[in-house]
Amino acid sequence: MNSTIPSQTTLPWLWRLPALVYRSGALIISLLLIGLIVLLSGASPIEVIGRMLVGAVSTPDQIGRVVATLSTLLLCAAGLVYTFNAGLYNLGVEGQVTFGAIATTFVLRLLYPEEATASLLPPPLTIALGILAGALGGVLWGLLAGALHVYGRISEIFAGLGLNFAATGVAIYLIFGPWKRPGVASLSGTQPFDESLWLGTFGQTEATPVGLGLGLLALLITIVVMRNTYFGLRLRAVGKNQYAAHVLGVPARQQLLSAFFICGLFAGLAGAIQVVGVFHRLIPNISSNLGFLGLLVVMLVNFDPLWVLPVALFFSALNIGSLQLPLSLGLESSLAGVIQGLLVLFALLGRGLAQRYAAS
Amino acid sequence: MNRSNNRFKALAAFTLLGVIASACAAPQSQPAPSEPTAAPQQPAPSEPTAAPPAAEPFIFGMVIVGPVNDKGWNEAHFKGAQYVVEKLPNVKFEYVDKVNPADRPNVKGSQVADEMIAKGAKLIIFNSDDFKDDALETAKKHPNIVVIHASGDYAWKEGKNYKGQPNLGNLMSKMEPGWMIAGCASALGSENGKIGTVGPLINEETRRYASAAYLGARYCWENYKKRDPKELQFKITWIGFWFNIPGVTLDPTKVADDFYNSDFDVVMSAIDTPEAAIQGKKAAEAGKAVKYHHYSYKGGCEPAPDICLGVHYYNWGPGYLDIVKRVLDGTYTATWTWAEPDWSDLNNPDTSAFGYLKGKALGAENEKFLDEFIKGLGDGSIVLWKGPLNFQDGSVFLKEGEVATDQQIWYLPQLLEGMEGPSK
Amino acid sequence: MGLFACATAGFGLRVKVELQHIHKRFGPVHANDDVSLTVEAGTIHGLLGENGAGKSTLVKILSGFITRDSGVILLDGRPAHIRSPADALRYGIGMLHQDPLDFPPLTVVENFMAGSPSTPPILNPRAAEREFRRWCARFNFDIDPHAQVGDLTVGERQQLEIVRLLANGVGTLILDEPTTGISASQKTLLFQTLRRLADEGKSIIFVSHKLEDVEALCDRVTVMRRGQVAGELDLRPLHAGAQQASSHHPEIAARIVELMFGRALAMPTKPPTRRDEVVLSIEGLVLRSDRLEIRVDQLSLHRGEVVGIAGLEGSGQQLFLTACAGLEPPAAGSIHIAGHNLTHRPYADFLRAGVCYVPADRLREGLIAGLTIQEHVALRASGRHFFIDRAEVRAEAERAIAAFNIRGRPDTYVERLSGGNQQRTQLALLPAPLSVLVMEHPTRGLDIESTLWVWQQLIARCQQGTAILFASSDLDEIVQYSDRVIVFSGGRVSPAIPVAELDVELLGQMIGGRF
Repeated sequence: MNSTIPSQTTLPWLWRLPALVYRSGALIISLLLIGLIVLLSGASPIEVIGRMLVGAVSTPDQIGRVVATLSTLLLCAAGLVYTFNAGLYNLGVEGQVTFGAIATTFVLRLLYPEEATASLLPPPLTIALGILAGALGGVLWGLLAGALHVYGRISEIFAGLGLNFAATGVAIYLIFGPWKRPGVASLSGTQPFDESLWLGTFGQTEATPVGLGLGLLALLITIVVMRNTYFGLRLRAVGKNQYAAHVLGVPARQQLLSAFFICGLFAGLAGAIQVVGVFHRLIPNISSNLGFLGLLVVMLVNFDPLWVLPVALFFSALNIGSLQLPLSLGLESSLAGVIQGLLVLFALLGRGLAQRYAAS
Repeated sequence: MNRSNNRFKALAAFTLLGVIASACAAPQSQPAPSEPTAAPQQPAPSEPTAAPPAAEPFIFGMVIVGPVNDKGWNEAHFKGAQYVVEKLPNVKFEYVDKVNPADRPNVKGSQVADEMIAKGAKLIIFNSDDFKDDALETAKKHPNIVVIHASGDYAWKEGKNYKGQPNLGNLMSKMEPGWMIAGCASALGSENGKIGTVGPLINEETRRYASAAYLGARYCWENYKKRDPKELQFKITWIGFWFNIPGVTLDPTKVADDFYNSDFDVVMSAIDTPEAAIQGKKAAEAGKAVKYHHYSYKGGCEPAPDICLGVHYYNWGPGYLDIVKRVLDGTYTATWTWAEPDWSDLNNPDTSAFGYLKGKALGAENEKFLDEFIKGLGDGSIVLWKGPLNFQDGSVFLKEGEVATDQQIWYLPQLLEGMEGPSK
Repeated sequence: MGLFACATAGFGLRVKVELQHIHKRFGPVHANDDVSLTVEAGTIHGLLGENGAGKSTLVKILSGFITRDSGVILLDGRPAHIRSPADALRYGIGMLHQDPLDFPPLTVVENFMAGSPSTPPILNPRAAEREFRRWCARFNFDIDPHAQVGDLTVGERQQLEIVRLLANGVGTLILDEPTTGISASQKTLLFQTLRRLADEGKSIIFVSHKLEDVEALCDRVTVMRRGQVAGELDLRPLHAGAQQASSHHPEIAARIVELMFGRALAMPTKPPTRRDEVVLSIEGLVLRSDRLEIRVDQLSLHRGEVVGIAGLEGSGQQLFLTACAGLEPPAAGSIHIAGHNLTHRPYADFLRAGVCYVPADRLREGLIAGLTIQEHVALRASGRHFFIDRAEVRAEAERAIAAFNIRGRPDTYVERLSGGNQQRTQLALLPAPLSVLVMEHPTRGLDIESTLWVWQQLIARCQQGTAILFASSDLDEIVQYSDRVIVFSGGRVSPAIPVAELDVELLGQMIGGRF
């Protein structure tokens, strides 16, 4: 089809507003819509947002859970910075988390068999090996998506979604089959690991220093790599224009596979932390959908890792605070999902409009 | 512009879809306004220990695994908690339902309990076997809070899994006799002795329930129908969970259909959802002489009343009321309670741990037999957990004349000899 | 016919189309600058010009796909108010697009019924099929009414579209590059059909950049260049007498080439830089794309030599250039660089051998929008270290900016640069020892000063021993700066001719496909 759609240059000048207007306009519209939806569900919008944010920070437990969520979210988001910058929509991040968790569980079960009374190796070493295995599992799943995309010419979106299903399928098979709890096969997961294999926490909360450390470290590395290395530059070049990057001599395939590799690595670490730090066992939805949340975070910050931390913190708080909706307001907590989704949707819309129409 | 923009659009559409989906889900699963239960009103017992209304209310919380309107296990617990609120003044009840990783990712049962305790709850009830780890974790973390894990055994001193946690108790309705009655009704309703059961997942609880049903069926087939026990075919197919999860469990619709189509004239449901009733109704409309028996929900006969043999259902109200009262007056100690039915009046909401409703398809003559059977179970003249009984693999479970202990029943390792279907 | 007749009764036959003083701007680009065109009823009028000359814009204005900024459209002397394709169709103007605007998942008859302004609310497939068969029989089209449109060839889809437009009562038919991608026999049939429609009194506008097609078919031709009408010619003398006689009017062909490309040829100005050593040699090369097949039997480039490629755009130059640069694998034949056989070797090997490609579409293929000048400089230096030394990269970018006189700062995004400065940036990014430089339109869109400057740089490269292979639509540029010239015409490739032996007439004939 010929390009008969009017391009930006044919728009009347009235449309050509500064980018900020589009972005803030979209935000305002999204807030109004959210308010309307909350009103329709019979509550006060101010109260809902207030409760959700206050409900994320009013007890040490809540803060701990925000930090635990943030740790996993940071790992996913840091990994996604690479794929997004390479121009890839790696929806397979969820499967990479899941498969990392499976690999971690596998190694922990190997080193601490069900009938044993103690770990075969010193527990810290066992945990470390488990986390390493998680990273490798994530890498495997990431590279699988990468190979399907680069060599099989399958859209990475569909490759990723397919591999998500596959990873969940494997997890469910293991939980209901070979790894089921003695006497019980249940969606609640495998038998919890011995407490010696749990990551230490901050006090009695659920936040683990190791998890938070890994998340922050991953983000820091990502910031440095994306801003200060040739690798990061090549990745951005491939993401912005794969053909031109190729013409300029950037090995595009290698870069794409590297992005899948690193994203898989970080996502696999996230899965490992979910196992040894959060759930202490393998459950079917081990990722807690934090991979998808990571996608939203990275899209919101326009793929710039510098802004990942504050936005990820905000969404972690929203995620934890959403439990207040059924508890104190008698509201369905999927309302939090609606709020989150609308915020992201309109932020993206604002960005898209700004890119397309804004006066430079 | 081109490629990434299309991706962007696809993704935006994806997000939008999610938003719409959750928006649609929201109103539908709003917690139902607390309507008064159908329980006959009794004068509220005046509790000497209950504080006057002006004081801080006593709050207890319930962590519920599924939706509170599931017409099964979760609704029964929810109604039980509502019953407590009706019976006691100045008692408040908080709950979060659908606490499972599929419905609420990133939320654990213990986290919900933490939240409720932070809001002042003094008693936390976990309503599913799935919460055994969460219940223990919560009890350890909050030693001043009473934690009840329904259906568990961590507080059973004589049990295998006793944890010695002083503030963690268990409550379970003793449904095994209910299953015997169900099995009996099914045998009475069957002409050819082929009884199929749509089972959930395999664990100790479901093994003992299925075995109890078989014992009831065999007794009534032999003693009331005067038929040879060898003619009785009792088969169970486990779907893998309490309800259908496409792609994960077997499809209960198909399992029920398979029974009806391969000449089983009675199908017992042991899952939370009504596939056995619905497929049975279709089979009956197609001219097959089939009947079904339902489980866990009082209205279980409603989908197809004409072919319903009966339903046994949980009644958690009295059990929870007792616990709350004792926590209120400070006399609660962590125990494992296997709550008994009221044999004098099975359907009494204030006294019985489970109830039984007969269905239309049973028939007047069989009703007499069933009443006789219930009476026998109640007065101890009929004891079915009694030797000689063998396990499915032929090994001896109970010797001649030996009566099973509670432990032997609770931790039943296998199905019984004569039953078809996997034990593990 | 009854189905559609009523809506178009007033415009069925013999319409004279006049466009007067049409202006259309796309931002800074003046795509149509005071264009006037008259198409007499019963004639086929060619609209010829290079890509970007403004011919597509003009016909899209006439067919309502684009609205004009100013100007008048007259049909039989009466002003027509055309704001949309539906308006145009009501005036009996229909356009056949290069990629047919049909509905591939539907069947032929369904397509035939769809898109008509007068389709009754209740469709009558059998009547439509009967009518469709009648139309096909009239023009000897052989299309199965029940075939899926997605399964048809481009030529068949074109036939379907023509029939659909005619059934809608179209009296003025516009065809945009209709001979691209169809078979020879389909082309013959198409030309017969168009001739017959013209004889019936319809006005036909035939948009093309293919000289030979225009010569073979059109009664008149209007040549457009840079948004303006460069001139108009009567082609009827070509058709007088026997059909094959067309080749006897070289002066007309030369005149068309002159109109398309400008005045008479410039003088060669390139100093001799050619050395004896062969650096690029091609043997029996066969290249295929979905629309073209090109054969180049033999071509050798010497160090320091410049070979220019002339020809109308879309004749396979880009395919050939990308193959020489190692970006596209050939279907057959071999490519040697400095004596090494690099056929089917990865692009990285070509880069290592000192081959570099500078594409015409700077922002799509040559530079990366969203990256700055210094990031491009760093990208070229990539591979030596892990961390970027920002200070060094910045200094290097500043050196390049000064040396190549780029109007920008190191942190200027390349898409913010003007076309000339983008081209300077591309040149600045070329590595230092270079064996073969492959370029597409090296000076397109640049002002005279920049053009001169670019060629100074390029000739300096030649003096260092670099061979340059470039394609251009500017014949002056080719003649001025090449040692030898090859001409592409519809997938055929002429031998390389020393620039001293060239004149306009010869070039015109070669571009028209006669060599």
